[in-house]
Amino acid sequence: MNHLDHNLHLTIPFPNDRYSEVAVKVLRPDPILRPEDFQVEYKSKGNLLEIDFKSVDDRVLRVGVSSVIDSVKTIVETIDELDYM
Amino acid sequence: MSTLPFASYSSPDLEKQFVVDPSGPQYQTTDGVTTGPSPHVLNAGQVDKDKPAPPKQMDNGEFTALGCLRAQLTGLQDDINKFLTDRMEHAKRKKAKLDQDKDRDNRINKEIKDLLDGGDDDNNGDDSSQ
Repeated sequence: MNHLDHNLHLTIPFPNDRYSEVAVKVLRPDPILRPEDFQVEYKSKGNLLEIDFKSVDDRVLRVGVSSVIDSVKTIVETIDELDYM
Repeated sequence: MSTLPFASYSSPDLEKQFVVDPSGPQYQTTDGVTTGPSPHVLNAGQVDKDKPAPPKQMDNGEFTALGCLRAQLTGLQDDINKFLTDRMEHAKRKKAKLDQDKDRDNRINKEIKDLLDGGDDDNNGDDSSQ
């Protein structure tokens, strides 16, 4: 088992609880290609989306974190266009 | 309760916090510098068809709350990407130095071993009397 000792914690405040819950539901089904090298966990705490990344090194962490932030930006834009008042 | 995105990094040798300054220009655009095509590709004439839309604006011209959030995430993503890229370069240089040191140590050890092993023979290349 590789040591997943390169970690990043990301907190993203949404305008309300529902949006952070929607984001978790959208992000969670994405498969992790190499779980022995990279893991990610999504949680909704009130209006906050909390994301924990664990990785075997900085290179894998960079790829994984940037990819997830890209997905979050797409979710934010979609809500903004279709739901936000 | 926090109103801005926030990130914290930790590894065995370093911890770092990433904070968003909403007044900083890099947190007011959705056009990140570490995402999208490289300058090399753009300079070669490629048109970026996947360029993100700018933050959504309200009637008064201000960004919507989610437009602000998307721009702040873009800036935070750039900060994290740049930091981790620097860390990768640092790790690469460290490994190259270690490899170099290891090669040097191996070479010195081999020379010492050759000297010790060859000390009895005293073979200087001119000895053809055998």
